[in-house]
Amino acid sequence: MDAEVKMKNGDEGKSALSRRDFFGAAGAATLTAGAVALSNTADAVTAKSKIQYGMLIDTRRCSGCQACSVACKAEFDVPLGATRSWVEYVEKGTYPDVSRNFLPRLCNHCSEPLCVSVCPTGATYKRKEDGIVVTDSDVCIGCKYCLQACPYDARFINHKTGSADKCDFCLHRVSQGVVPACVNTCEGRARIFGDINDPNSEISRLIASNPVTVLRKGQGTKPNVYYIAADHADETDATNGQYINVTTHREQAERR
Amino acid sequence: MTEGLNWGLPVIWYLFLAGMGAGALTASASLFLRGGSVARGMHVEIARYGAFIAPIPVMVGSLLLIFELGSFEAGHWFRWINLYLVINLSPMSIGTWLLTFFIGLSVVYAYTFIHNAPGITNEQRYSLRIFLSWVIIPFGIGVAVYTGVLLGAMPSRPFWNSPILAMLFVVSSLSTGIAAVLLARALFPGKQSNDEAAEQYHQSGYIFAASDVMLIGFELLILFLFLMFAHLTVGDVKQAVSVVLPGGSLASMFFIWVVLVGLLVPALIELYYVVPKLLYHKAFAIPRGIEIIVPAAILTGGFMLRYVVVIAGQITGPVGI
Ligand code: SF4
Ligand code: SF4
Repeated sequence: MDAEVKMKNGDEGKSALSRRDFFGAAGAATLTAGAVALSNTADAVTAKSKIQYGMLIDTRRCSGCQACSVACKAEFDVPLGATRSWVEYVEKGTYPDVSRNFLPRLCNHCSEPLCVSVCPTGATYKRKEDGIVVTDSDVCIGCKYCLQACPYDARFINHKTGSADKCDFCLHRVSQGVVPACVNTCEGRARIFGDINDPNSEISRLIASNPVTVLRKGQGTKPNVYYIAADHADETDATNGQYINVTTHREQAERR
Repeated sequence: MTEGLNWGLPVIWYLFLAGMGAGALTASASLFLRGGSVARGMHVEIARYGAFIAPIPVMVGSLLLIFELGSFEAGHWFRWINLYLVINLSPMSIGTWLLTFFIGLSVVYAYTFIHNAPGITNEQRYSLRIFLSWVIIPFGIGVAVYTGVLLGAMPSRPFWNSPILAMLFVVSSLSTGIAAVLLARALFPGKQSNDEAAEQYHQSGYIFAASDVMLIGFELLILFLFLMFAHLTVGDVKQAVSVVLPGGSLASMFFIWVVLVGLLVPALIELYYVVPKLLYHKAFAIPRGIEIIVPAAILTGGFMLRYVVVIAGQITGPVGI
């Protein structure tokens, strides 16, 4: 298949991405083959994109080293106290029957993103060309409605820009044909990035051949980040004196 | 208690002030129209209080909202104008437009109550006043409704995600609006030139007090239904609502300030003064002290309702991961 790749020179803008840039530089994938159609039509939330980027996280290969969290911080100069990407530790049980599992977290780039449907300015939208959910920091007024609406607490206000901010799947890297920083840095190769709509991509094959889950499925946002062997235990699940402790490693000490 | 929350005191004050202003105008415009379709209907004096006090809290509340915007804090003073460059189905977008029209209309409406206002003949002023009374009522209800819809639109916030929340806010808005009008009237009574005016004063006051008892009754019922249905479910909603039920972190605040001070006590006092006229057609006379204390309690309760609801919605979330 022919991948139509249009790159824009000097498209180095990191978090200050504008919508014009997005439509100018077709987010074309060289990772996975697939024709990229440029479209300028009004973005409907549920409109199915040709490419839907997603991530598969194999938690069996994650050692909780936080290299991804650090890479993300460095890549975007994320302000102190804020997190685009973080790794939670889930401890449970009583000695000797104990476990500690790791749950890497990021924006799920949902197919039914509630953050998009509540945004009053249209600053947050789902890109038609690759399904990445982005926030235009030049348009966003920082009303925090999307922070309330996201069931994954994936968003924060970047106090430097005054805009809502979150993981954007490293759009500036992906549009140049390289994988996101967290995927690149992962020492256990726990993270697989690719086009979920292409049945032949590595990520699609792994999703098809493994038992996978998504987080908070009941919220109905249709996440595009999948997990293998995720520990879904939460402190609120602890009954009968069972010990469950979640360390979020972020300013919000508790999951919301 | 609001530290670290995305929406803090400015939003809480806004929800309270906008609801109160919208309620005050809706209630007083309705009462004005009930006085007969003449510009000097029998309830024009109380309607004047409503018209004068309504626009200010709504405008102050909206201003507070701007101060809490992340863009404003980061120094982009006018980024909020982006709200006016689009209209979409976000409750905040629809609410912004509603609020803007409401503020504009309410300012013009107040103008029609100024004696011999310049730039307009009294005839024109009277007919405009009647016309705007009809127009402003749906807008007032709209503003009151949308504050509840805004919070209710998100499954990720189970405490808010209930259709009855908007209804609760509407009834509370009307009740606090009436309280605001009665309080303003008690604090700044003006001159009653003759007995007829004094009687009219009490007649208008009676209708408002009687309506308020009914509204508070509805509010208590809605609160009960809200809590009961939430408690009867399992999972997210039950967990969320447990913060205001006995044993929860917001329970004492909720039951003492919202239910007792804001609803039960004022309703009982109002009932005590309303019943003799309602049942035995005695004269309605309410001491000035009571006329001040009761609305003050209702307003406190209305604020605390927003306070508890806004915090409860943010300290709870979906259960499990
Ligand atoms: S995870 Fe949250 S921020 Fe990301 S797309 Fe889904 S709803 Fe939006
Ligand atoms: S904070 Fe920005 S992106 Fe989020 S809903 Fe408000 S305007 Fe939209």
